[in-house]
Amino acid sequence: MEQKKYVISPSGLSYLSKIKEIFEYRELLWMLAWRDFKVKYAQSLLGFAWAIIDPVFTLIILTFIFGTVAKVDTSGIPHPIYTLAGLCGWVFFSSLANDAGRSILGAQNMIKKIYFPRLILPLSKIFTSLIDLSIVLICMIILMIFYQYAPGSNILWLPFFIMIAILAGIVVGIWISALTIRYRDFKHILPLGLRLGMYATPIAYPASAVPDKYQFFFFLNPMAGVVEGVRWSLVGTGDFPIYIFGSLTLLLILLIWGLIYFNQMEKVMADII
Amino acid sequence: MKSTIIKVQNISKEFQIGRNRSNDLRSTLMNKIGKLLTFSNRKEEKFWAIKDVSFNIEQGEVVGIIGSNGAGKSTLLKILSRITLPTLGRVEITGKVSSLLEVGTGFHPELTGRENVFLNGALLGMRKEEIKNRFDEIVAFSGIKKFIDTPVKHYSSGMYVRLAFAVAAHLEPDILLVDEVLSVGDAEFRRKSLRKMNGIAQGGKTVVFVSHNLSAISSMCSRVIVLDNGQISIIADPKTAISTYLSKFKDSLYFSSNDFKLSFVRNTQSYRHDEQIEVKIERKRIFEPILFFLALRNYEQNRIFVSEKMWKLSIVSWKIVIPANLLMEGKYFLEITTKEPVSHKIIESSETALSFNIISRDILMEKYKINRLGFIADPLKWIICD
Repeated sequence: MEQKKYVISPSGLSYLSKIKEIFEYRELLWMLAWRDFKVKYAQSLLGFAWAIIDPVFTLIILTFIFGTVAKVDTSGIPHPIYTLAGLCGWVFFSSLANDAGRSILGAQNMIKKIYFPRLILPLSKIFTSLIDLSIVLICMIILMIFYQYAPGSNILWLPFFIMIAILAGIVVGIWISALTIRYRDFKHILPLGLRLGMYATPIAYPASAVPDKYQFFFFLNPMAGVVEGVRWSLVGTGDFPIYIFGSLTLLLILLIWGLIYFNQMEKVMADII
Repeated sequence: MKSTIIKVQNISKEFQIGRNRSNDLRSTLMNKIGKLLTFSNRKEEKFWAIKDVSFNIEQGEVVGIIGSNGAGKSTLLKILSRITLPTLGRVEITGKVSSLLEVGTGFHPELTGRENVFLNGALLGMRKEEIKNRFDEIVAFSGIKKFIDTPVKHYSSGMYVRLAFAVAAHLEPDILLVDEVLSVGDAEFRRKSLRKMNGIAQGGKTVVFVSHNLSAISSMCSRVIVLDNGQISIIADPKTAISTYLSKFKDSLYFSSNDFKLSFVRNTQSYRHDEQIEVKIERKRIFEPILFFLALRNYEQNRIFVSEKMWKLSIVSWKIVIPANLLMEGKYFLEITTKEPVSHKIIESSETALSFNIISRDILMEKYKINRLGFIADPLKWIICD
């Protein structure tokens, strides 16, 4: 029987071997995702309800600020639907980025005692975030029924935007989790960044509402495109955010750079965590 | 035909310790500024946990690794387990490796025993199919079938450990790396675990086993590697290796440190079981009052007891008496530690300051010489009740 032979050396595994390894450990990836799911909803009575309560509160606040107070132009769509459509994309990204960013530090004990490709830790968080997203989408459907609002053909683009949201969440997750190993500060920087990001992203207002001189910086935020895109596919306001392809390119660059950094950190992870 | 399954070539591992270990932006920044301002490259404190270690292990061998605390055993095992990378050198491994460095890693209190078995098994490298097939055996071995569907947070620590070990015991990798995990659970369970380990060892699997339990090492291993301060002291059969390891500890009638001098009153290191052992402890200089700890350790480095005394200024020397008929036959070590009374900071410590042997003429004990029964001799009084 052919036996696997491998070499342990100061330089670690090659990138190709690392990619193969993630595939070999896919069962563990599922296990961890399943564990997170079970633990999150295990003993809670309200269970899935908790996944909605946070977004609902945010929805109420944002609708109040941008709808009632600032009265931004939502092209005739009721503010709650407009905002919730925007929130869908954001909430998914935010929870994935948060979970993935904390995944390495949270698994300190496992990292010091067991070998597995550490990248599966942030990757495993995609599944729980997707489940949370489904719950929010169900709310969206309920709200749309309430307002008697039907989605158009744009909805076919939804999976595309969700994929980019996954990419964005993973990129942030990989960077933050790797940086946190070295500098604990990032543990605090992340939630702060996400909070600021929420206001800087056009969730409750259209991107066109942003003054021209800030537009460039605005579109550097990859989530701007995702949020507008998700909203466009759900409720049809605005145009297809063409700049999403720019955001996609930016994200891919950050992903590759992030993976390289993560790999470097992985080599010393067990020693300094 | 036996083949080399693990080839370790000149492995070294360096660690950085001390103040320069920065874990946040502030201290990293401070360090960098500090370096700039003083124009010095303040040498970061580093030390070599392992230096230039090489050895080969053949398929089917059971190899033990022993050494004092801090000798590098766990670090070596971590390198073989791929948890940490070596600083220098390389290792070639052929076959599937499972590492058991801790029992119950990944166990989550909210999940049931059943769910944790699957989770822990997956973490240890078992495929879902394998776990399913062996599930009943695992549960039977652990002895907690009744509670298998209860969340683990309700388990007693004993149950927890038994389930965790049961999962690990049913791994079937080509190569098993074990770090000191056989000392979990009660005596009954420990015996069961040892037997299971023996079974795995005799089943033709390759096992690398780190332990302080010298009797387990000598009974299970065909070869033993002795590590001393990060380097290989000797690789030999268990008997030779263990006695080399133990001979490193002083065989002398005296012990001298900065503050103390210890000596055997009767000028001998050998005592019969029915003789008491007297040791004189003299102060070499004047010092503040300190907390003085004296511990007795056995052959396997277990601490049999610890005795504590506040050493006041007025006292120049003590004599301690270890009662006769207390200890079983074997080799023992006296460990001394001194601490500051208020802060409990350790001033001085020596794990093996003096050693002595108990030899026995008792027929009963000689009869059972092969299996050590207990740490101390039978102190019970038997009274007939009518």
